[in-house]
Amino acid sequence: MIPQKNRKKYRLIAVEVIMIIVALIYIYPVYLMFMNSVKPFGEVVADVIKLPTKIEFQNYIDVVEKMHYQKLFLNNLIITSIGIVGIVVFSASTAYILDRRRTKYTKFVHLAIITPMLIPFQTIMITLLKVMSVVNLNSSTWGLGIQYWGFGIPMATFIYYNFMSTIPKEIDESATIDGASTFRTFVSVIFPLLKSVTATVVVLDVMWIWNDFLLPLLMVNSSKNTQTLVLSAYTFVGQFNTQWHYAMTAMVLAVLPSIILFIVLQKYIVEGVVAGAVKG
Amino acid sequence: MKQQRMGKQKKMALETVLYTLPALFLVALVIYIPFVLSGFYSLTKWNGIAKEPEFIGLENFINLFSGDKGFLQSLLFTGKYTLLFMIFANVLALALAVLLTKKIRSANMLRGFFFIPYIMSMTIVGFIWKFIFSQGFAKLYEMTQMEFLNLSWLGNPDLAFYSIVFVGIWQSVGFYIVLYIAGLQAVPQDVQEAAIVDGANGVQKFFRVILPLLAPSITTCIFMSLTNSLKVFDIILALTKGGPGSSTYSVTLDIYREAFQNNNYGYGAAKSLVFFVVILVLTQLVLKGFKSREVEL
Repeated sequence: MIPQKNRKKYRLIAVEVIMIIVALIYIYPVYLMFMNSVKPFGEVVADVIKLPTKIEFQNYIDVVEKMHYQKLFLNNLIITSIGIVGIVVFSASTAYILDRRRTKYTKFVHLAIITPMLIPFQTIMITLLKVMSVVNLNSSTWGLGIQYWGFGIPMATFIYYNFMSTIPKEIDESATIDGASTFRTFVSVIFPLLKSVTATVVVLDVMWIWNDFLLPLLMVNSSKNTQTLVLSAYTFVGQFNTQWHYAMTAMVLAVLPSIILFIVLQKYIVEGVVAGAVKG
Repeated sequence: MKQQRMGKQKKMALETVLYTLPALFLVALVIYIPFVLSGFYSLTKWNGIAKEPEFIGLENFINLFSGDKGFLQSLLFTGKYTLLFMIFANVLALALAVLLTKKIRSANMLRGFFFIPYIMSMTIVGFIWKFIFSQGFAKLYEMTQMEFLNLSWLGNPDLAFYSIVFVGIWQSVGFYIVLYIAGLQAVPQDVQEAAIVDGANGVQKFFRVILPLLAPSITTCIFMSLTNSLKVFDIILALTKGGPGSSTYSVTLDIYREAFQNNNYGYGAAKSLVFFVVILVLTQLVLKGFKSREVEL
């Protein structure tokens, strides 16, 4: 018995070693980006693979200034926060009412709200630009944030709605008997119970809005004051496409927030992504 | 008494409407209204600047189906991309997921490594690889003299296609790995042990027991990879901008070009509607096909 057990152990070790090598090769491009961002221009051009002779943050100082990084970061923060808060508030409350008051009207609304998940963004983008300029939601960060409400609500409502049916009706009935209004019941009884779904929705939508490209490109690309991180990195790399040391730094600066967030919240992010895909 | 109940019912109905109206309005504003307008503009000739679009009936659609080479080429590109992406992303993700669910200590960390490209913006991922295809490969070629490193991976139309497929898969395989891991962990241990007791070897166990029980995960992943790859856009814009020539235009990029670069808003709207129908039909067919094969324990 023992030799067989040993064989199994060795096989596991072999699998582990191979997987580590594969993972390192896999992530090598990301490492290259980081590594070249702390090299002076001459060293990037001479040899992209060689380690820097000394780590220098001059690129970062230059690029932060050239890109107006603080402003971009703030823009991303504003757009993402406005988007997330609206999506969560409107989707959770709508899903709550849709599940608890089942009438012909709610059936219609439910269908009307989740059907747009089937409509690709590219089908509506041309006319969206026109509609948004009519209601004055184009070319501002807050306007873009509000647009994400409409784009995020279908999937978020769908996820909330599926979860609502697992919360027993008795819970809100007893709150109502105690004299709580619908609003009160939702805020202090139902919404806290939806915590895990809210986490899923927040994870999925933060990743989406923070990194989104096409919608911001159409709406807020015309002015430096409203650009997002990814947009600015896109223009920046276009302008400096031969000065790779700056391009690398701009790219690192654009993805760094997501990477830090991922390292800190890996467990929740992975869980959220799985839950969102399985329920969506 | 009766009046009171009536009043309460009315109040409830009003409340239902009040709670659901904002969401309905927001969705209508950014999706339904533009969608209906797309339908309208697809029947017109409009450059986006002129006040009145000119109504031309079905002319856009007739032109589209009677030999728009650009659109046909982009459809073909997107179809090829989707097919390769679906096959390789799923096979690779499943294989890696199987290995990552073995009892190895670094499994969580390794999963994180594969997942990192997925949390990065696709535009940036495109740029990283543009850098590697040009600067990185040149240096590696100098060092190793391996011929494939000296090819023009973004400059040759055929190679550019494979480069885009490769980068697309690299960016998102972590996402499918995570989904497959969740699916594999849900396959009950006792069923797997029973298979071993019945004399199944590892390969048989995988194909006859695990794979069928994994069907819901496979359906999810196939569906997600289908819809995501049909809409491929950001990566191409960062890697090749549709070039060399116009050999790597996807449908979405073609719609974008038609509307915002050529200023043919009406024609672009017609293309976008055709694209919508293609996506709808394909996803429903694939979903039905895979759902019907799922087995229950």
